[in-house]
Amino acid sequence: MKRWRVGIVLGTLALALGWLAATPAAAADPVTIEYWHINSPTFGGPATKELVQVFESRNPGIKVVEKFQPGVYTGLMQQLQVSLAAKRPPAVAQIGYNLTAYAAGQFPHVVLDKYRQSDPEFFKGIPDNIMALGQLGGRQHGIPFGVSVPVMYYNPELFRAAGLPAEPPQTWEELQRVGAIIREKTGKFAVYLQQPNDEWIDQALIWGNGGRPLSADGKRVGWDSPEAIEAMQMWQDMVVKSKIAANLTWEEGLQAFLSGRVAMCLTTIARQDHMRKNASGFEPKSATLPRFGKKPLATPTGGNVLMIFANDPAQEKAAWEWIKFVLSPDGATIWSKGTGYLPPRGALAEDPRYLKPFFDQSPMMKAALQTFPHARSWVSFPGSRGLEITKILIKARDEVLEGKRPAEPILKEAAAQANALLPK
Amino acid sequence: MAVAEVHLGTRVAARARARRRGGALVGYLYLTPALALTAVFVYWPVLASLVLSFYDWNLVSPTWEPVGWRNYTELAASRAFWLSLVNTGKAAVALVVLTVAAPLVAAVVVLRVRARWQQVYRVALFAPTMISMAIACAIWLWIFHPLQGVANTLLGALGLEGPKWLSSGDWAIWSIVLVTAWKTFGFNFVIYLAGLLAIPAETYEAARVDGASERQIFWRITVPLLAPTTLFVLLTTFILSPQNLFIPTQILTQGGPNEASNNLGYLVYQLGFEYFRVGYASAAATLIFVVFLVLTAVQFTLGERRTHYGG
Repeated sequence: MKRWRVGIVLGTLALALGWLAATPAAAADPVTIEYWHINSPTFGGPATKELVQVFESRNPGIKVVEKFQPGVYTGLMQQLQVSLAAKRPPAVAQIGYNLTAYAAGQFPHVVLDKYRQSDPEFFKGIPDNIMALGQLGGRQHGIPFGVSVPVMYYNPELFRAAGLPAEPPQTWEELQRVGAIIREKTGKFAVYLQQPNDEWIDQALIWGNGGRPLSADGKRVGWDSPEAIEAMQMWQDMVVKSKIAANLTWEEGLQAFLSGRVAMCLTTIARQDHMRKNASGFEPKSATLPRFGKKPLATPTGGNVLMIFANDPAQEKAAWEWIKFVLSPDGATIWSKGTGYLPPRGALAEDPRYLKPFFDQSPMMKAALQTFPHARSWVSFPGSRGLEITKILIKARDEVLEGKRPAEPILKEAAAQANALLPK
Repeated sequence: MAVAEVHLGTRVAARARARRRGGALVGYLYLTPALALTAVFVYWPVLASLVLSFYDWNLVSPTWEPVGWRNYTELAASRAFWLSLVNTGKAAVALVVLTVAAPLVAAVVVLRVRARWQQVYRVALFAPTMISMAIACAIWLWIFHPLQGVANTLLGALGLEGPKWLSSGDWAIWSIVLVTAWKTFGFNFVIYLAGLLAIPAETYEAARVDGASERQIFWRITVPLLAPTTLFVLLTTFILSPQNLFIPTQILTQGGPNEASNNLGYLVYQLGFEYFRVGYASAAATLIFVVFLVLTAVQFTLGERRTHYGG
């Protein structure tokens, strides 16, 4: 019995010593980094996995753990802030353009200017106006990864069922005229404008009608401008008066379009792959957003920058390698094909070795390419209360679409609340 | 002699006191692990949150900025807070009807069903409790779809136009309550079943022999003898309602449209983890704590007076 005990003690000691001896060898293990993104299985998830697979095969010293964060960019920010408070942030995370000012101002992160010296090649080929999406106060806080624009997907079958030519309306006036016919002849809704937990499409309406989401000096939001009020009132009228527009939550709206219950759906080009693969009973097509009368097309740029939050040098180095890969011609090709995001290196779209064949074969991407020259910024509200301002505007949209009061008083009240929270 | 007796008496009493003291010490020693855990995971956070409520902090910043009572005054003037308070009140009342009264009726009815079918009903009614709330909510999301969901398709078959369950400000809170009630119904139902089975059969027999009607039996015997169970179900339903409402709110509506389905539990989360105003959120949490403490105390005192404990 005693021998047994001695045996157990010695065995444990031997195991412990063995483990201790093995620990230095562990230093040679691959560096593992976490990459946080918003790409669900229906929105770039498979392409993300492919990126990780190719990257790891080329960089055996680095392992990437990709983690999907629900709730789009706002949801990711919430998780990120909590992880930063716990001092366990991911090495790299996607930050929506609408939140870059908040993240750059409030979160500890790695400023990327130093890589301009060490990796000048990387920065070539990404145009300055695109690179500017990741800059604040003249410093590079993030690298633009996904670049998208809003487009209008449509269901040609519903146009035909209403006895209309399957051509998308060019202006909002035309959309309302055509929409009334679709509603009357088919009983289906004519249009759905995306309503997730952000105000991207709202900014598209404001930019499109000639307004600005935020004044040039950053001291006032533009939601109470005549252009914004007119655009949002139009949206309300389509929901409440003519009943051609569906007022649905984001998941409901997307599903309604894909199952043929709504004729047109305004959302990001980054969903084209999902739309193409999941539409049932029709082949979706895309067009540029309708214009406001004779006003030129203007939309916000969607997408995200990649920011580094790693707090140790090995992690930071691995994180930078990952960023370089996903933006490289090979990485960007996987990403654009798997989503519909436009490559920050615009020239890849023309390059027969990379994305030209894809763009040639994807008629849906044409609308995005036509929109791209008209893209403005997706305004990010500055200051520590930026996230609340976004929420105030989302709540105002909810109220406008509920239709119990006209848009003007709702937007004026919301703008007053938001202005009080902007930095003076 | 007398002196010696007094001495002896004092010694005996002192020994007994010492034994008692030792016993109490051992008792406290046994309690220590539980007390320590409760102190670390319950009392300390409550205290920390009370302190935080007088500061402005965003979870990341190294400094806490003292703001005095400002978080409380801002809360008192906030539309979201009052709306959430009213919504929580509405939800709590609805939940009392749907998950305190309804399971009692269901339990009484199920016990009258033949034994073989009884099992089927028990399983069916308890099943929602076993499903993860997050998964259940994903299913409800599709049930509630206004254009193609099961709910409105069924209503449509009856010639009724179904509402926009989640995107209408008038309906959203009730949709959340419905999902919460569906989820908690089974648990309370099982507790009532246990309570009902604990009532001695002789009591019922005696009442029947005395010629009591079924209705009289229910109101005069079942309800009073079930009172301790009812008090337990009522208190837990009421206290847990802000927590139980949280997951459906987060998954189905995020408190929207325009705060219409917001409630106190979700509001604290929103202030703390969406806007990162941790001090402000702590102030809200402290107020909720006080409100619920008072309401629970009132409920308990009133309930206790009318409760008969058997045995």
